[in-house]
Amino acid sequence: MANTSYFAGLIGGIKSLCNGLSVTFRELWTPKITERYPENRKENNIPERFRGTLVMPHNEKNEHKCIGCGICQMQCPNGTIKVVTEMVETADGKKKKQLVRYEYDHGCCMYCMLCTRACPQGAIEFENEYESAVFDRKALIKVLNKPGSKCEEKPARPAVAKPATAPAAANGTPATANANAAAGNAEAKAKAEKLVAAAKKAQENAVAARAAADEAKAAAEANPDDAALQQAMTEAEAKAVKLETAAKTFAQKAAEAVEAAK
Amino acid sequence: MFDFSDFTSWLDTVLLRVMPEWLTILVECVLVALGIITLYAIFAMVMIYVERKFCAFVQCRLGPDRVGPWGTIQVVCDVLKMLTKEIVSLRKTDRFLHALAPFLVVTASMTTFACLPWNKGAQIIDFNVGVFFFLAVGSIGVVGILLAGWSANNKYSLIGAMRAGAQIISYELSIGMVMLTMICLAGTMSFSELCQNQAEGGWYIFRGHFVALAAFIVYLIAGNAECNRGPFDLPESESELTAGYHTEYSGMDFGYYYLAEYLNLFICAGMASTVFLGGWAPFVIPGLDGFNEVMAMIPGFVWFLAKVFFVLFLLLWERWTFPRLRIDQILTLEWKYLIPISMTLLVLMALCVSLGLTF
Amino acid sequence: MSNMINPIVVAPEELHDKLAALKAEGYDFLECLTGCDWGEEGLGVVYSLTKSSTTFEMTHVKCVATDKENPTLPTACDLWDIANIYEREVYDFYGIIFLGHPDMRRLFLREDWVGFPMRKDDKPEEKNAEIPATNENISDTRHKYTLDAEGNLKCEDTPVFADDAYVVNIGPQHPSTHGVLHLRTAIEGERVKQIDPHLGYIHRGIEKISESLTYPQTLALTDRMDYLGAMQTRHALCMCIEQAMGIEVSERVQVIRTIMDELQRIDSHILFFSCLCQDLGATTAFLYGFRDREEILKIFEKTTGGRLIINYNMIGGVAHDLHPDFVEDVKHFINETMPKGLKEYHKIFTGNVIFRNRSIGVGPLTREQVISYGCTGGTGRAAGWHCDLRKHRPYAAYGKVNFNEITFESGDSMDRYMVRLKEIEESCEIIRQLIDNIPEGPIQEKMKPIVKVPEGCYYSAVEGSRGILGVYLESKGDKSPYRLHYRSTGLPLVAALDEACRDFMIADLITIGGTMDYIIPDIDR
Repeated sequence: MANTSYFAGLIGGIKSLCNGLSVTFRELWTPKITERYPENRKENNIPERFRGTLVMPHNEKNEHKCIGCGICQMQCPNGTIKVVTEMVETADGKKKKQLVRYEYDHGCCMYCMLCTRACPQGAIEFENEYESAVFDRKALIKVLNKPGSKCEEKPARPAVAKPATAPAAANGTPATANANAAAGNAEAKAKAEKLVAAAKKAQENAVAARAAADEAKAAAEANPDDAALQQAMTEAEAKAVKLETAAKTFAQKAAEAVEAAK
Repeated sequence: MFDFSDFTSWLDTVLLRVMPEWLTILVECVLVALGIITLYAIFAMVMIYVERKFCAFVQCRLGPDRVGPWGTIQVVCDVLKMLTKEIVSLRKTDRFLHALAPFLVVTASMTTFACLPWNKGAQIIDFNVGVFFFLAVGSIGVVGILLAGWSANNKYSLIGAMRAGAQIISYELSIGMVMLTMICLAGTMSFSELCQNQAEGGWYIFRGHFVALAAFIVYLIAGNAECNRGPFDLPESESELTAGYHTEYSGMDFGYYYLAEYLNLFICAGMASTVFLGGWAPFVIPGLDGFNEVMAMIPGFVWFLAKVFFVLFLLLWERWTFPRLRIDQILTLEWKYLIPISMTLLVLMALCVSLGLTF
Repeated sequence: MSNMINPIVVAPEELHDKLAALKAEGYDFLECLTGCDWGEEGLGVVYSLTKSSTTFEMTHVKCVATDKENPTLPTACDLWDIANIYEREVYDFYGIIFLGHPDMRRLFLREDWVGFPMRKDDKPEEKNAEIPATNENISDTRHKYTLDAEGNLKCEDTPVFADDAYVVNIGPQHPSTHGVLHLRTAIEGERVKQIDPHLGYIHRGIEKISESLTYPQTLALTDRMDYLGAMQTRHALCMCIEQAMGIEVSERVQVIRTIMDELQRIDSHILFFSCLCQDLGATTAFLYGFRDREEILKIFEKTTGGRLIINYNMIGGVAHDLHPDFVEDVKHFINETMPKGLKEYHKIFTGNVIFRNRSIGVGPLTREQVISYGCTGGTGRAAGWHCDLRKHRPYAAYGKVNFNEITFESGDSMDRYMVRLKEIEESCEIIRQLIDNIPEGPIQEKMKPIVKVPEGCYYSAVEGSRGILGVYLESKGDKSPYRLHYRSTGLPLVAALDEACRDFMIADLITIGGTMDYIIPDIDR
């Protein structure tokens, strides 16, 4: 206001204040954004990638995938994980490391994902459970393997049906093998599996899209005057082409990954 | 129209029948005091709730909604919490002044609260220089703030108190000037007469047309500053002085400031509605008798409260929109803008009244 | 592209002349000053200088103190204002005394700390067995060390504040310092006369901790420095390690990182706006900012699984592929939420006469001052210094996008504010250019299980949310860094606070602090 005249400044000032008032007045009637937690627990959508707590998934036979290699413990920057193992003799006389306790100190965890990324077996993962508050910090030290659980003998592989992945699966490193190699190999394997699945999905999508496109085309040819149908046909065609290309890329990638895993 | 003085004179006669005069007066005083304190507490709670909800809605939030339906019990809980909190006494402070300060603030606001005309005949303090009395008693509050800042032996408090001193005393000038403008129009300083006049001849904001409207706006700004409310909350500006003059207060001592702040806001709005919007006077349009009849059937205190809450809405609205001013800007606003404007308004009003340009 | 640096080695006695000569040559911006303990070789520092007005070319000067027990080096305070604070940091951690430095106090550690913890042979746990539970007595004395004729150290003490100064503590617990920053402020009435920042309340020794962590583990700490620049800080470290190892990340990763950096920048700038409003008492505008920022956090959460501590960039790639909704969400944000939000911000706050009066002409910094203090980012650009690394040293996908470098002239609070709001628009523009053309490709390069960086010194920098964020990495070929130093974006801003606030009011200190936009964990690291 220093460089404008007294009255121009006064009027300009009042105008700017009214501008602000109009904004708040409008906002007074807009829908409110507050989320009503905990009433909205059910519809509260936590993204699946959100890292709430570390878990070790068990299958229906109370089996987990952890082989007790301790890579996660080594990777953890602040000593959150403690893996207790023992050596047991298997039926065929071989010595084998077995997980006894998998201790996870939730209070220390900083969710950096180094453990889950390093795990050669994919035995641990983050879950989006977020209500972790407890009254005693001792309760935050959790044992992740369930009582009486044991390691899966031969990890179930949903993609085994696909012949391409079979060799990769057969290549699976024995549990006692060098941990580092296991890490690399298992990761590649997992990736290959994922990619194969993705490629399959993409192929399915592409087929569906192609069918839809054909249908649209037929409809459009039947009614050449209908502009909307023409439009729909062009769009469906474009979508089908796009998805087919994507499917091809995926298939190629999957093939490469399978090759790499071998 | 419902006249509250019927009830009070009936009570007076009843009491006089059973006890001597001095006792009657004593009993009446006690009853009035109880009434005032109850109303004071109730309105403080209502105000706090209204403000919290209002600011939440402006800010796209829901505001308190956990305790009671729509959070209505929240404030009661807050008051209970405040009452049970420990009052921390500090070393190296002036204990006496430190304890005295909140009472001065509360006394000032309670006394001014008693000046409000709630209904026809329902007014506690009413005499011929009512406006004058209101202004005089209202200024005691600043002494409490200054003492609070001085006695706490805290640098933030001291700076806050100094700001409060400069700000409140400055803004009292324009409030006084604006009040003079309206008295000029009304020809009386008594609140009951102010309201009666407006009930008979229309609200002063209409009768004094643009001069009164301008005076109304100036009064709102100055009154807001007088209450230390944002954007004029410099004495306690939390982002600069943490809590300003009441930094070192805790428990109910702090609660008194809290109460007084909200009640001062209420009083500011109440005074604006009394002087400009007719107090308990209903809204009448000359000529439309049927409409006026209906309006007159609504009791006076409903009118009064409706007007107060309308003014409060204006005050809250601007409080939750604007950023805070700086101390030099606050004084610039007062001395360079509001005082010249209110002086001009006084002269204009005097001219209007003498030339018969008012209604 | 390698980021290896080969510092020019100079002897201590020639150091000052060499630096002065380089400054005269055009290297007039002291981008980074890193102390280091080279073991047998001794203790010393590396000065990283940049041509501030032309090419942003860098040169590095290394100087090793001769005496290992009581190392001394000449000060560069007279050449750059920021050297004052940087040299105090080096003194604090390495005990190198800078001769002629006017204020050789500790910067982060307590005055009663024993030893210099970043020296490789220091044993901080033994020397400081008991964690002091008493109040810290903050020193009120400045020390100036010089050598006398015989070569002995001579200490000259001056008080920090004059005897009659009225000193108010703004912080460490204060609503407007945005964290545990402690500004001892001498005031005269309402006017600020002098500010002495007292730092270290949230110093976690990230640089020291990193020396004992593996490279992937060091990444986990970066998000905890500048929490509004988590993406960029982590990007800087990943980029530094990748370039040092000679890893080329895929186009896809480059583009994803660029988009994420820009989203993070918008996030940071919205929060800047919000906090400034809050500091100036406009609480409502504060929540409008938060409302819009929530959308970015949701985008982050869907793709990365984190909101504030994101953990997204990894050495050689990123942790997750983009979420299927990502493109749609981002488009909604940049095309609908943000333009609408910005319009509202301008209406309720930018144009407001109270804000304008409180910010125009308040706390101006000239172009010379910002370069001397090393205030990069919005603070630098507000003063007319073209210092945007995205333009001058393009990295990731910034070379391929068109955007304007926002600069202003006067460098006052209003300009600092406007730079940020305009940059939100530019960031949206960058994202708009990239979001439809995210190339296909792997999101993670194949890495060896143990990451080892070849021996050498490396320096990489990105444009963080509030300035140049540099990473100085020295490796001996191990799986842990030998020395990892971050060029903090906030430290220079705090250093310039005294200069910017002098003779303004207490309320202006809040405005200036707010528009400087520092983040305390980034200052303290």
